[in-house]
Formats: sequence, structure tokens, C-alpha cells
Amino acid sequence: MSEPTPLPPKPVPDPDTQPYWDAVKERRLVVQHCGGCGHWIWQPRPVCPRCHAADPEWTEVSGAGTVASWTVVHPPVLAVWQGVVPFTILLVELDVAPGVRMVGQLVDEDGERLQTAVGVEFGARLALVWRTDEAGQVLPAWRLAP
Amino acid sequence: MSVRPGLQAVVAGIHALPYSKDIGMTERRSGALAILGALEDAGLTVADVDGMTRYVWQPTTEMEMARILGVPNLRFFGEIDYGGGAGAPTVQLAAMAIELGLADVVVVWRSRNRSSGGRPWAGQMVAEGQDQFERPHGIVRPADGFAMIARVWMHRWGWRREDLGRVAIAVREHALKNPMAMMHGRPLTMEDYLAARMIAEPLCLFDNCLETDAALAMVLTSAERAADLETTPAYVTGYAMGSGPEVYAMTNYYGPELSPTPNAFVAPELWANTGLQAADIGVAQFYDAFTPQVPVAFQEFGFCADGEGAAYLVSGEAPPYNTSGGGLSEAYTHGFNLLVEGVRQVRGTSTDQVEGAGHVLVTSGNVVPTGAIVFSREPR
Repeated sequence: MSEPTPLPPKPVPDPDTQPYWDAVKERRLVVQHCGGCGHWIWQPRPVCPRCHAADPEWTEVSGAGTVASWTVVHPPVLAVWQGVVPFTILLVELDVAPGVRMVGQLVDEDGERLQTAVGVEFGARLALVWRTDEAGQVLPAWRLAP
Repeated sequence: MSVRPGLQAVVAGIHALPYSKDIGMTERRSGALAILGALEDAGLTVADVDGMTRYVWQPTTEMEMARILGVPNLRFFGEIDYGGGAGAPTVQLAAMAIELGLADVVVVWRSRNRSSGGRPWAGQMVAEGQDQFERPHGIVRPADGFAMIARVWMHRWGWRREDLGRVAIAVREHALKNPMAMMHGRPLTMEDYLAARMIAEPLCLFDNCLETDAALAMVLTSAERAADLETTPAYVTGYAMGSGPEVYAMTNYYGPELSPTPNAFVAPELWANTGLQAADIGVAQFYDAFTPQVPVAFQEFGFCADGEGAAYLVSGEAPPYNTSGGGLSEAYTHGFNLLVEGVRQVRGTSTDQVEGAGHVLVTSGNVVPTGAIVFSREPR
């Protein structure tokens, strides 16, 4: 028996986050936008935390943004990533909604994970790229925008 | 706080089993032994215990621990969540029960096989709740989440790696005087620090706390009950909790502002509750899972201005901190060793005793909902 292939952590949607993951499957990035007060909401929740309107609308965004922070991951890491460290995880502030920040890996234009953080600095421009992880899960990722 | 003076909570007993990489027993057993040690230290017995509080992350419940020890009846029990944020709040919960007259003798403990039991993050392959938006991208270890925040602080305030290194070294210096510390006999230089391997940039090995098996306990009772005991009481002068807005565990970076931690909300409550201010604190035990938490805690508790934490630490004005070696160099116990060391400083029994420290501040994890507590030599 060979060792099972190591897998990355698997996102598990719940009823309040399912629309996000449904959109991800179609390679669309959605963020909740409150129809009542215009507040952009991240992470997802069932009620707008500002005006308390229920069911903020899932709204597609371009994913364009800037670097709000980043880390470069070194060992020890999960088995699935042992051969690919170092890699860079970005905190991305979306243009559409200052204050909405998402986490995603730094990739190239083909969605391949980069082993360098060269060019990453506070405020650097980022563009959304979709990548597929080791388990076949589609995930948003970002590349440095020219 | 308006509590009848005789009911003011005091810490009457403390105990810690020797720290190790492999304690060789269950957390249930080590926790029970720590509690028995703390009761003996207080001059009390299991028959006196009528309350227990614990961290939610403590694998043994109050019910199970009370059963193991043969406690006749728990008149008060409860748990506080959020990992390292739970330390001071769990003691606060015990103190509140005493001050409300709901219990006379309350036991608090933390036992954790964080070394021999493996790394919790290594087995978490399912990402639910906030984790579903983080873990699949690689935010897996506590250091990964915290590194993002550390980089923001360093950028905003111009902190260099050497500033963090000085925290690691200062804490290590205390550990060198503490025979119980995991890093006793292991000096650390700036050269060592700067040459260390990276874990999650900008954090290197020495910016991270230890992986330790540990078991510690504390016994609280009222000032009037403690007056009949041989023990030197550590008076609980005050306590406070706080979350701040848009709070997440370890990844507190989706809110409107990136820099304040939940401690920024704890501090004003604590000073209001105690009638004290930073200048009254003779020695501090700041939660130090990661080095950058220390200068930020000095800022947020008002020892220095926003952004000046790193400069303050080398100004000569800062009170001694993490005098047993803290989480970075004594043991990582979700901050319970900081609480125990706070009591030792009040008693005058620290291995790096600060003379004349009437008030000791102990804080808990500052990137989760958290709290802080002040122990004092005199009643309030």
C-alpha cells in the first residue's frame, strides 16, 4: 500500500456561504453588498452588520485590488505543500470596497503558484486569477498586475 | 469595582508541573496533579473546592475534573473560548464568582500536551466557518495568520527585525534565570536571531513561542477566606475583557482598520475598573505567542504612544516583562504561565523578582477576543 496522496484543507460551505462557493465553481468572485445601505461585507454573513437588513446581495466583483499584507510560508507545513514551499499568501484589499480584504495565494498569469514574493509590496496592484488546488478545488488567487 | 472588601478575590494557590517536550501523561492526569498542587500550596483541600473554570480548549471538562478529584459539588463552573485569549478571562470568571458570593474556592487550570500531542493545525484538513476562506489558501498555522498582521505593524511603525529580536532576547534573559524554563541554559544573541530560519515571513523561529507539554493551576478564594490561610494572597485588583469590532481568531484583518487589537478595547476598561494606569504597573506579563505582540501591548495598554512600542522597549523606561521567560522561552501554555508568574511576582517568589512591584499586569492573546487582569500585593 502506498501512502495516500496528501491533500490541502478542503473548504466546507454552509448555507450562509454556499452562494460564494457556487460562484467560485463558475470562476466568478462574489462579495455581499447590502441593498439597504450599500455596505460591502466580508466575510459572508446572513445580516448586514451596519443596517441589519437580512440577506445582503451576492454581487460579482472583478477582484482587482492591492496588497494589504503578505506572508511567505516556510516549513513546517502540511504534507501537501512540503515540495512547494516557500510560497506567498496575500491579503488583498479589493478596489470595489476598501476594507474588504481577502486571502489568496500569489500566482502567475496561468494560475501557477509562485515560489517568490519578488515585486510584492504594500499597495502593489493585483489582478484576480483562478487556480485549481491539488484536490481539484477552484480557488481565487492573485497575480501582480503590470 | 463595588465588591464587599472581604469578598475581593485573591489567588491563594499556584502550581506548575515541570515543563517538557513529553510529559508522559494525559492532560487529564497532569491537570489533576496541577490542581492538587495548587490546593496544597493554598493550604486547601478538594473538599473546599466549589467552583471551577477552564479554557474551552481544555480537553477535560469541569465535570470530569471534579469527578476525578472527588469534588462534592460545583456551585459554579464555566468556560471561556478563543485559545490564548482565554487566560485572564478564565481567571476573571473565577474571581467574579467569588466576588458575587457564588463560590468560595474556585480552581482554574490549563494542561496541554502541545509538544507530544502534535501540532493541532497539521490534522485540520476540513475548513469551516472563517477557516473556509483562509485555510485552503495556506493560512494554516497560527503563525501564518499572525504574520500578515505583524507585517502591517512593522510597515506602519517602521519596526525592523532587530526590534523583534530584542524582545526574543529580553525574554530569553529572564528564562536563563528560571530553572523551570524550557530555554534555561540556552542563551540567545542577535546574531542567532537574525540567522534563524523563517517560519512565516516576517516571523522567524525565535519570533514564535515554544511547543511545550505543560500543566498549571491556580486556586482563587475571597480575601476573608485567605486571611485564615498561610498563603501570601495575590489580590485581584481588577480585570476586563474585550473583542473590538469585526473580530476573528488570529486573522483580525477584515475590519475597517488594520492596527488595533482587541487589547485596545480591553485596556481602557481595565484602567477604569482598577483605578490604575500604566505608570502604576511595576512588572508586566504580556501575552507572547509571537514577539510583535509585546511592543503592541505596551502601546495599547498606554505605556507609550501608538507606534512607539519598539523604541519604548529600549528606552529604559519600560517595566520588566515576561519575567519567567513567557511563552517564547519558558513554556507556551496559552498564557497560563504568565498568570502564574504574575502571582509569583506579587508573592516575591519569581526567579527574576522585581522589587517593589505592587501591581502586576497580565494580558492574554491580543489577536483574539481577550482580557487582562491585575494582581496586587495589597487589597484595593
